[in-house]
Amino acid sequence: MPAKRKAPATQAAAIKAGRTSAMSTPGPATPRSIDDSSVMSDADEDFDEDVPEEQKRREEMLTKEADDFVNKFTFGAKRLHGQPDDKGRRYDAATPFFRKRDFSHLPLKPDHQNRPLWIDPDNCTIVLERFNPLAEQATDFLITIAEPKSRPTFLHEYTLTPHSLYAAVSVGLRPKDIINTLDRFLKTALPDSVRREIEHHTRSYGKVKLVLKHNRYFVESVDAEVLQMLLKDKEIGALRVQGSNEITTSYAPTMGGLVIPGTQNAAGVHQANLKQAEKKPGEGGDAPNEADLFATLNEEDDDDEKEAVHSFEIADINVEKVQKRCLDIGFPILEEYDFRNDDVNPNLEIDLRPNTQIRPYQEKSLSKMFGNGRAKSGIIVLPCGAGKTLVGITAACTIKKGVIVLCTSSMSVVQWRQEFLKWSNINPDDIAIFTAESKNKFLGSTGIIVTTYSMVTNSRERSHDSKKMMDFLRGREWGLMLLDEVHVVPAEMFRRVISSIKSHSKLGLTATLLREDDRISHLNFLIGPKLYEANWMELSQQGHIAKVQCAEVWCPMPTEFYDEYLRASARMKRTLYAMNPRKFQACQYLINYHEARGDKIIVFSDELYSLKQYALKLKKVFIYGGTSQAERMQVLENFQHNPEVNTLFLSKIGDTSLDLPEATCLIQISSHFGSRRQEAQRLGRILRAKRRNDEGFNAFFYSLVSKDTQEMYYSSKRQAFLVDQGYAFKVITQLANIENTPDLAFATPQECRELLQRTLVDNEKGAEDDVETDDLFGSKPGRGRKNNKLGGGGGGPAVRRTAGMLSELSGAQDMAYIERNKAANKALKQNKKRGAGGEGQSAFFKKIQREKEKSKAQARAG
Amino acid sequence: MSVAPQSYQLSDYLEKLPGTTFRKLYQQPSTAFAIFRRMLPPLAKVFVQALLYMPSPLLLSELDVWVRPEGKMHRDRALSILRSLHIIQITPPGRDKPQEIQLTTNFKNSLRLALEGGGTHNSFGVPSKLPVDPKIDIAHLDNYARKKWEDILHYVVNSVPVHGEGGGGGSGGGPKASVKELLLAGRLVERRPDTRGGVGITQAGFTFLLQEANAQVWTLLLLWLEAADHTKAAAGEHAKGPAMPDSIDMLSFLFMLASLELGRAYDTDALTETRRNMLPALVDFGLIYIPREDPRQYLPTRLATTLTSSASALRSVSSGFTAATANNPGDASSLGIAPEATSKGSIIIETNYRLYAYTSSPLQIAVLALFTQLNMRFAGMVTGRLTRDSIRRAIGFGITADQIIRYLASHAHEQMVRAAAATGRPVLPPTVVDQIRLWQLENERMRTMAGFLFKDFDSAEEYLSLSEYAEEIGVLVWKNDRKRMFFASKFEQLRDYLKSRKKAE
Amino acid sequence: MVRAIRGVLIECEPAIKSIIVHLDSANNDIIIEDLDETHLVVKENMVQVLKQKLDDRLKETYRPEEPLEDSE
Repeated sequence: MPAKRKAPATQAAAIKAGRTSAMSTPGPATPRSIDDSSVMSDADEDFDEDVPEEQKRREEMLTKEADDFVNKFTFGAKRLHGQPDDKGRRYDAATPFFRKRDFSHLPLKPDHQNRPLWIDPDNCTIVLERFNPLAEQATDFLITIAEPKSRPTFLHEYTLTPHSLYAAVSVGLRPKDIINTLDRFLKTALPDSVRREIEHHTRSYGKVKLVLKHNRYFVESVDAEVLQMLLKDKEIGALRVQGSNEITTSYAPTMGGLVIPGTQNAAGVHQANLKQAEKKPGEGGDAPNEADLFATLNEEDDDDEKEAVHSFEIADINVEKVQKRCLDIGFPILEEYDFRNDDVNPNLEIDLRPNTQIRPYQEKSLSKMFGNGRAKSGIIVLPCGAGKTLVGITAACTIKKGVIVLCTSSMSVVQWRQEFLKWSNINPDDIAIFTAESKNKFLGSTGIIVTTYSMVTNSRERSHDSKKMMDFLRGREWGLMLLDEVHVVPAEMFRRVISSIKSHSKLGLTATLLREDDRISHLNFLIGPKLYEANWMELSQQGHIAKVQCAEVWCPMPTEFYDEYLRASARMKRTLYAMNPRKFQACQYLINYHEARGDKIIVFSDELYSLKQYALKLKKVFIYGGTSQAERMQVLENFQHNPEVNTLFLSKIGDTSLDLPEATCLIQISSHFGSRRQEAQRLGRILRAKRRNDEGFNAFFYSLVSKDTQEMYYSSKRQAFLVDQGYAFKVITQLANIENTPDLAFATPQECRELLQRTLVDNEKGAEDDVETDDLFGSKPGRGRKNNKLGGGGGGPAVRRTAGMLSELSGAQDMAYIERNKAANKALKQNKKRGAGGEGQSAFFKKIQREKEKSKAQARAG
Repeated sequence: MSVAPQSYQLSDYLEKLPGTTFRKLYQQPSTAFAIFRRMLPPLAKVFVQALLYMPSPLLLSELDVWVRPEGKMHRDRALSILRSLHIIQITPPGRDKPQEIQLTTNFKNSLRLALEGGGTHNSFGVPSKLPVDPKIDIAHLDNYARKKWEDILHYVVNSVPVHGEGGGGGSGGGPKASVKELLLAGRLVERRPDTRGGVGITQAGFTFLLQEANAQVWTLLLLWLEAADHTKAAAGEHAKGPAMPDSIDMLSFLFMLASLELGRAYDTDALTETRRNMLPALVDFGLIYIPREDPRQYLPTRLATTLTSSASALRSVSSGFTAATANNPGDASSLGIAPEATSKGSIIIETNYRLYAYTSSPLQIAVLALFTQLNMRFAGMVTGRLTRDSIRRAIGFGITADQIIRYLASHAHEQMVRAAAATGRPVLPPTVVDQIRLWQLENERMRTMAGFLFKDFDSAEEYLSLSEYAEEIGVLVWKNDRKRMFFASKFEQLRDYLKSRKKAE
Repeated sequence: MVRAIRGVLIECEPAIKSIIVHLDSANNDIIIEDLDETHLVVKENMVQVLKQKLDDRLKETYRPEEPLEDSE
């Protein structure tokens, strides 16, 4: 929010004014500060005549100096006596350090110690004392009205933004609630500037709602004047359904009677039927959280007289136009679904399984969505592994209408369906999958469809089956649209999804609302406001997600590499800092170390070339865009269940939607520039760790960076989000005893030079353009191979090639690698046939085993 | 007079004193007692207590009875300290007689007197018999001392150029001219015409600012003693001026002050002339207060009475001040300074480098600004962040990473201390500590030295002989025998050597 | 014939040396003698320029400080 500031010139003048008057106006009526000059002997008191002249002078001097000092520096006197500037500000010696952000003139309330918040009146930054007795309530409140900026241990910072206020209003807070509650938590009185900002930004937000009632769209508002104004608007007025000239008036809904399944309330309802107690021992303490501030506010609402709401009808086809127009004139439309009064769409038989209980933060997030008994569209932000899927499923069980789920990959389509079956009592026939492989419909009148974004937006090369399926999806009205991983999907894609499939409410789910392109605001208007954002550290402390130790390992580059790096093109620079042999060694060392500890390790590399080089040299399995679906499944299965396969190399296709609860250690060797989102997502891969609640368990996250390269810069930029969530990255400049690693790669200068030469040759002329179009995991099996052929035919440098064609373009050396890779995959296949481990071990694993024993023997000998 | 960049400690000062000085010092029971209290590690105290009433010297070997075998290191350290402070005498090792240990006479007698009381030495001050103004209570003294001391610190801290503000150094007000002179002489600040106040802070000044209050007081007092010695020496060389204060008597007086009772008035008439001459300066430092109504009285402030307190007790210096602040009606609460928040450490440093300090003191804020990028200020709290730039700027001033870390640790907010105790982790986030050090290391990645590169030797012998000579006279910086090159910091002597060598051929 | 050349000895990490060599390669106006992995001799009058260039170069490996006033 822009600060309204006066020109700085007034500041200097004010300082002077403040000083002069501080000396001239110490009135007896003014409360005395300890630094008040009066504690020195008063100058006009009688002198003791016995005092020698010299001493008298000295004492006089002393008094004078002390007075000067007091007036100049003390925090007390001046602010009490000084003349404020036109904004009520006063200054002292420390003020210049803060420029315009000295707000110490704002007087504290007498009981400020019991209040947890400060606020910056210009930028609406809020500082929260986490150790304050009221911190819990204040946190609940802030997460509803403000954007979290910094949430480490002791003090948190939030900012009020237009979007956050929009979200607050949309979940049912009224401007006066926001203002009064904020004022109650503040140590100072609420500054007028903040009050004005809140009023300004909430005046129009949430005033206008779009409600699908009895299958007709109504524009609704509690404020009749606003509605009149909209009707007078040329565009909107014309879009009103003819013949319904009158504004209808009814009463605003309340949460009254709505129970979100899986919550404590729901448990109460179920209690009669259930013998066993629902509560797990550790969760008893969470009960008071329910009576959070937010609920209290809603209760207060209930006590009020029921508010009248006014509405007029618009036609289905005009919804988007009206939405856009309302947005343009500053009255963004909120969508709400009064599903309990929807008699047109058939109800879906679905409920959470009786013994399913959702966690407090999941409940909190859902209470924002269903706060007034209707379903509000919006986004819920939970870290990976914190149970986003269950939140989505619970929402579906609350609404009990047809649901369409959009995922980023066919892998996660399968996972979503499994989760639905696991947590809810949905009839398996009522939940169908729409992917390239499977195009089923549900049989009953309503049901759930799980699909991918690309399936419903990709209009090209659609098969007959797909077309039929799309018609099916388009021809229906959905109660709820669940949008998974909303942050990775381009805004255009959303627009297409949303315009082609009609749903009454939309729930976006994501781990981070970060987009490096800052297009989050688009999501706000396409889906809805952010309803809830969880605190990572808190969930981790409560054991909902794993505790993680983060480290950044600095790997110096050997001189030849670094010389080359300094000369190289931007593209080659990235390859070189990924292929840094010291980094390779660090990776090897960490894999050895963590495998020995019994960890399962994922190594991430954005750079396909290095991904393969690393995996092949270290004889580990890997998956990238070009890996076929069947092979992926096989590798993943082995990683999960085969005790011989403990390290998996993944390209960025593994960043999201890949559920590997076995993984407990993550090593990053190359990443996507300064993407904070990718960093957070990758961390998310280990938050779900199965072993997270083991005594003293820690997951590990290593980021390997080549020293003195741009990677250092990107690395710290990437960490910014996690660091503000309270994660601490330890810098490791030296790995202890790395030189003792058995079979340490590139241990001689000769090997390093060879590696450099090979890297340069292999990557010359952009032979590997390293573009993975298959961002969404497994969305199009076989496409990689098809592209290969196309690329191979073209041959020219302009043709974009995928990584798969490495073998065709580079020398025999790489051919050998590819062959070996194939061998590795075959090994897994054979292994599977014969059953894991034991006598059925393939040559591949026998070899690994042999080498392990050899190195062990060496280690023993050495 | 030069000051080491690290804090100048009392022990450093004492160690330089000759034995005769100690004999004089130990004539005062208060001095013996103060040294015993402040300067000795626990084991050394045990030794002293054991030896104090022994009628005859003790066999050194018998000491070992009190020390566990694994504590030999402590024993040696304790003995070494006791010896360097001339508290014990040990007979030299001889063939016929085993080594014996005993307390030095003056120390023993004085410490006995100090512990038993009695004697007419007046070593612990003579209370004034005159009535004391009831307004002059402890709170009053605390306020007074704090103002005096902060005045001095402000003068030093204000000589730091503020971003875009130019040097605010010492403009107007500030401490007395004599104190300013002392700060200049002690090189805590130096004259710099380019700054507004004409003085700029030095590296020693930064060190001074980041010290604990008690260490700061001692630093200044020792500068004062050294200055007195200097003046005396200078005066002695030239003419016989008036009696200069004797630094030994001064030091004794300081130890005496440390033994006085806070809030009590003492008689100036009972002081020697040297000591009476010290009073004005001590007033300037804020160590004593002389009521205007009756200059025959002097009252020690907390700065004086805590001079020889143990480290933990020193915390109470600031808490005492703060308590006084809180007691003063219409101050703390109306200004909104939470007394209990400031009574302990005030700084919270988060893992994301954000810094929060519960303070209203412009002085503390100015000190924080030395190494923090400050952001917002509220009543009683400021926010900021440690950044690469802010730390490197501090390092540019000559502040070390360790000093910053120590400052943060010693001023850590009780919430941090409590959390650390609960989790068994260090008080400061280790990643932040590491990063501050790493930022310092960035500054040390390249060293330069001007000089001369010697190359193109005619023969291996010529190279060897010249490089060896260079090494001999200490000008060789780098050499490579294979390349037959070396780098030397100086040129002339080598040239001459080469000439003479050529001639000899 | 033995020569003594006035210059400034730089002792630094290999990476820093690489950067200096790289900077020098543009005009060959900095380095007098490349001694070994961690030492070189440079022209006295170029030291200040060199330090500046080196700093600029290294800057791209550190995160620029975010402005604290993250006003929207």
